[in-house]
Amino acid sequence: MIEIKYFGAVAEKTKCEFEKLSFSEELSLQKLLQDLNEKYQFESLSFSVAVNQKIVSKAADYNLQTSDIVALLPPFAGG
Amino acid sequence: MSASNRYNRQMILPEIGEDGQYKLSKAKVLVIGAGGLGAAILPYLAAAGVGEIGIVDDDVIEISNLHRQVIYKSSAVGKSKVEEVKLMISELNPLVKVNAFAEKLSGKNAISLFEKYDIIVDATDNISIKYLINDACLVTNKPMVYGSIFRFQGQVSVFNYQNGPTYRCLYPDENNNALNCEDAGVIGISVGIIGMFQANEVLKMILGIGEVLSGKILVYNILNNEQQKYDFDKSNFQLISRESFEEKYNKSEVEEIKFESILDEINNDSVLFLDVRNAHELPKISLKNQIQITLLYLENEIEKLDKNQKIYVFCQSGIRSKIGAELLQKHQFKKIKSIAGGVLAMKDILKEEIKI
Repeated sequence: MIEIKYFGAVAEKTKCEFEKLSFSEELSLQKLLQDLNEKYQFESLSFSVAVNQKIVSKAADYNLQTSDIVALLPPFAGG
Repeated sequence: MSASNRYNRQMILPEIGEDGQYKLSKAKVLVIGAGGLGAAILPYLAAAGVGEIGIVDDDVIEISNLHRQVIYKSSAVGKSKVEEVKLMISELNPLVKVNAFAEKLSGKNAISLFEKYDIIVDATDNISIKYLINDACLVTNKPMVYGSIFRFQGQVSVFNYQNGPTYRCLYPDENNNALNCEDAGVIGISVGIIGMFQANEVLKMILGIGEVLSGKILVYNILNNEQQKYDFDKSNFQLISRESFEEKYNKSEVEEIKFESILDEINNDSVLFLDVRNAHELPKISLKNQIQITLLYLENEIEKLDKNQKIYVFCQSGIRSKIGAELLQKHQFKKIKSIAGGVLAMKDILKEEIKI
């Protein structure tokens, strides 16, 4: 079970601030992002991705572990 | 002495003392933006005794600002923000020197302004200025205290602190289209809290106490009080030299035009209106010669456009259209203008036109 946190405009798309996801086989970060994009249609929304409180490259070659927390962080613009 | 009386309660903190107060009095801080974040940051920096405060903003106070920009009085509506800030600070703490710049930050003035200060605070409300501040901070080697809001959430970080990671390391994709307060909505408390976090980072840097939020972004949600910190590394994706800064910011200027001044061209066959918003964005605008290409895909679909045609680019509020117009100019498009204020400005005018 991994946890995914959503912020800002990304959370508006997902209509939730976090969700838990179980997976049976290996799941790469890239595949997860691809699946989420298909599910929520992020389209032109830009965001950075963190795994366990650390921003990583979206193209990172990383296989998710069951206790991982992934976060999708878009830039904010208000002030 | 009146100064030590004024600051006594903070000077008795062992972390500040006489030394710290002296450091504050010698510090020079430039705040970009006198909106919601600035309204929280400025009085606290001034009250604490920061010696010199510069403030850059070309806006005048509007009635719709007052619910969150709490330093302004109702009677000041219509007046210059930076002049009101100067007045407010002179009453709050006459020991502070205030430099008011009633101008827009641009590639032309950023570097010469930043050079005169120790710390640059980003209290702006749009993304393209954040990249400009970041890049000018890199050229002048100044730390940038970033704060930003989306509805009930805020982000804070300090970039380029002692050569640390920058805004571009966190958000490399410059062509994003995050919403500002006007588009997304905001309450005063969220900008107040985030502005206070920024002021705190400024004081910590000046005093050399605590841990600066460098290489970390703090995300705060005021609805559930959840607070997270995320670490990020320095990437080599950076604009460093003065030359590349000039190349990027001072080369081709995008000309902005008011929609009301081109009304007689909306039925002209030789003119194209280019909507760079996403396909689903409302309100829909349908002019006779109009095409929709989302900003993100503009470069890929550039073949659809004629380099010699007169093209007016528009988006929701006039920010993305400038990026789009710039992109077209880079591709040798000759007659490109961006419609100032975007659809938000166009829709009212179009309504009136239809009535007539």
